[in-house]
Amino acid sequence: MINRVWDVIVIGTGIGGGTIGRALAERGQSVLFVEQGPDGPRAEQTALNPSLADPVARTVRGFWPDPVTGLIDGQKREFFAPLGAGIGGSSVFYAATLERPAPHDLDHSASHPHPTGGWPVNDAQMRPYFAAAEAMYCVTGGTDPLSDAPALPEPPPLSAGDAAIMGRLAENGLHPYRLHAAVKYLPGCAECFGRKCPRACKMDGRSAGVDPALATGNATLLDRCQVTALRGTPTRITHIEAVHQGKPVVLRGKRVVLAAGAFGSPRLLLASTADWPQGCANSSGLVGRNLMFHLNEMFAIWPGRTFAGPSKSVGLRDLYHVDGQRFGMVQAMGIEASYGEITHYLRAMLDRSPLRRLSGLVRIPALIGAKILGNAKVFVGLMEDLPYPENRVTFDPANPDKISFTYTLHPELLARRKVFRRLIRRAFTGFRPLFLTHMPELNFGHPCGTVRYGTDPATSVLTPDCRAHDLDNLWVVDASFFPTSMGVNPSLTIAANALRVADQMQEGA
Amino acid sequence: MTLVVITGAGGGLGRALAVDLTRRGCRVAGFGRSLDALLETGRIAGDKFIPMQVDVADAVAVAAAFAALPAPVTHLINNAAVYPRRDILDETPASFAATMAINLGGVVACTDAALQQMVLTGVGRIMNVSTFADIAPLPASSAYAVSKGAARIYTRAIVADLGDRFPGIVINDWMPGMLATGMGIAHGLDPAVAARWGAELLLLDDPGLTGTVWEMDRELLSPRSLKGRIKDRLLLRPRRQARRLG
Repeated sequence: MINRVWDVIVIGTGIGGGTIGRALAERGQSVLFVEQGPDGPRAEQTALNPSLADPVARTVRGFWPDPVTGLIDGQKREFFAPLGAGIGGSSVFYAATLERPAPHDLDHSASHPHPTGGWPVNDAQMRPYFAAAEAMYCVTGGTDPLSDAPALPEPPPLSAGDAAIMGRLAENGLHPYRLHAAVKYLPGCAECFGRKCPRACKMDGRSAGVDPALATGNATLLDRCQVTALRGTPTRITHIEAVHQGKPVVLRGKRVVLAAGAFGSPRLLLASTADWPQGCANSSGLVGRNLMFHLNEMFAIWPGRTFAGPSKSVGLRDLYHVDGQRFGMVQAMGIEASYGEITHYLRAMLDRSPLRRLSGLVRIPALIGAKILGNAKVFVGLMEDLPYPENRVTFDPANPDKISFTYTLHPELLARRKVFRRLIRRAFTGFRPLFLTHMPELNFGHPCGTVRYGTDPATSVLTPDCRAHDLDNLWVVDASFFPTSMGVNPSLTIAANALRVADQMQEGA
Repeated sequence: MTLVVITGAGGGLGRALAVDLTRRGCRVAGFGRSLDALLETGRIAGDKFIPMQVDVADAVAVAAAFAALPAPVTHLINNAAVYPRRDILDETPASFAATMAINLGGVVACTDAALQQMVLTGVGRIMNVSTFADIAPLPASSAYAVSKGAARIYTRAIVADLGDRFPGIVINDWMPGMLATGMGIAHGLDPAVAARWGAELLLLDDPGLTGTVWEMDRELLSPRSLKGRIKDRLLLRPRRQARRLG
C-alpha cells in the first residue's frame, strides 16, 4: 500500500472523495483513499454529539476530534463543529437532503444577477451530472412546482402529518414538495438522519462512494492516516507526507485529488510550504479565502391540533429568490416540539442573550400555542452566504492540526437576514411562526468556497475542471470549489461536480 | 439463531438459568471450571446445552472458547463469581487478586470476547448478574464486595462507550436476590424462581433496557436530581415508572 504508485490518491472520503473515488475505480483506475478517521464497525448507529469532548471518544465515533476555533465578528469562539472524520466524512451523519441548486445559484442573468458573474460551469452543463449524482445516490422526492428540474423516482407515501402540513401550506399559497432524499427506504428503514446508517440504505460518501469503490477491487482504503503535507515541484505533486497510526509515511500517486472538506483542504494546502513558500496551489493568495456558511433561521409553527407526528420531509422554494434578493430553501427539520420544549429552548437561548431578563415572558406565546394549537413543528430557512476574501480559514504552523477561521457578518448579510425573517413571518401567516434563533446562526456543517474555481488564475485557485491553476496533477472536489454557497444543501452539487471532474480527469489521462 | 453463553453454569443460579433457557428453546453454551458439574447441568437441561470447560479468569482460554462456539454468541450472562468469606486480616494480596480475576476479570474477558462478535451485526444482549455487596460491605466480604462493585462500574463504563454507537447491543445489571445456593443463604429464594426472571429479562427485546438495573423481577430507577426533576416537569415528560417482569 505504502510503496505502490497509485493512479489516483484521494484525500478524504466524504461526498466529494467517495464519489470521485468510486467513479475512477469503476473505470479501472487504481485508487487509494486516505482517511484521517477510523474504519469503524459497519453496524454502528452513532449520532453526532457536540457535547462529547474527549478526543479519543470522538475519534472512534468518527467525529472530528478537536474543537474548531472561530474568530467571529472579532470574538473568539471554540466549539465542536458538526464535522466527521471517518469513512464517509461528515456525510454519514447528514440528513441526506440532496437538493438541486436553482439555475440562478450558478448562472448570471439580467433578472437574477450573480454576485460573482456566474460559476465557470453553468447550470445547463451541470444538469447531466446532477442527474447522474441523483441516480448514484438513489435520490427520491417530489417535483418542485416552482422549478423545471426533471421528476425523481417516487419515495414511499408521506406520513399523515406531512401530508396534512403540505395541504395547509398550499392553502397559504405556498408550493411545498417532498424533499429530495438520498435514502433507499429498505424494509425496516429507520431514516437515519443525524446518525450513521448501519446498512447501505442512507446513501452517503461511504455507502454510495467508498464501499462500492472497494467492491470493484480497484480501490484500497488507508484509514487512520492523516496527511500532513503535499510535496512536489513548481508544477507537479510528487508525493504526500502523512502519519499513519503514529508513524510517518510517504504516499505516491500519479494524480492527487484533495477532498478533505472546505476547512481541511485549504488547511493542508497552506501547510504545504516546503516546496511552495506561499502554500501549495496558492499563487493567487486565495487559498482559504471566501469562506461561506449558510445562515440558519429556525422557527416553530403551529399548524393545528390535528397534525400528528413530526414533519421531516417537506420543503419549499417560495422564498428562494424574492424581489431580486438571494435567500434559500425552507425545510422541515423533523422535530416536533411540545410547549415545554419550546419554552425550555427559548429560555436557554434568551439566557445567553442581552434579553435574559425577559426570559419569563417566553412562557406566554408558547403556552397559548400549546393549549390552543397542539404541538409545534420546527422548520429551518437556509439563507445563502456570499463570498468575502477576509472571511477565511486560517493556518497556524505552530498548531497545524487545528481548524481555525475568521468570519465577519457583513451588513449586507444582516440586512438580507432581516428581510428573510420578514418573508418567513409573512409566508407562514396563520401558523403563528416563532423564531427559535435570536442571534444569526451560522451553519458550521456547510462550510464552502475556500479553494474556489474560476477561469482567471488571479481570482481563483482552481480551473473550471477543478484542477489547481498552479499544478498539473492536483484536483480539489469538496465544497471548497464553490464560488458561492447557493440556497440549498451542498451535497448534491459536490457529488455532481465530482462526477464531472472524474470525466475530465479521464479525458486528460 | 439464539446462542446464550452462561458463565458459572455448573451450579447454583447459572445451572438454573441454563435449564430455564433451554426449556424456552434457546441453545446455551455453559462455561465452568468443573466438567462434572457442567455435565450434571447438561443432564437436567437436555441436548440444547453445550458444556464448555473454561476458567473465566483465564482470558486466553475464554477467547478460545468463544472462537469454538458453534455460532456467534447472541446473549451473554456474566454469572460466574466466587464469594470466599474471609476476614481482611486473613486476606492476602494474592487471594484478593484471585477473587478479582474471577469476579471482575471474568466479566471483562467474556464481555470483550462477546463484543468482538456482536459489533459485527450490531445486535446482542449482555446481562451481568450483580449485587448490592458494594454499597455496605459485610464483614469478611472485602474481595467479593470490591470485585462485584467494580463489575457494576464496568457495566456503566461499557454502556458509556457503546450505548450511542450500538443501540442494538443491550447491556444491563440484574440482582437476582438472596438465593438458596452454595454462594447464598440457606433460607434464600429457590434459584429456579430467580432464573425465570433472569431468563425473561435476558430475552426481552428492548434497546431501552441498556443501562437499567433490575432487582429480582423489577426495575430499580436511578435517583433523579432536583434539577432533573424540575426539567422533567418543565418539559412535561411523563413520570418515570419502574417496569416489572411477567
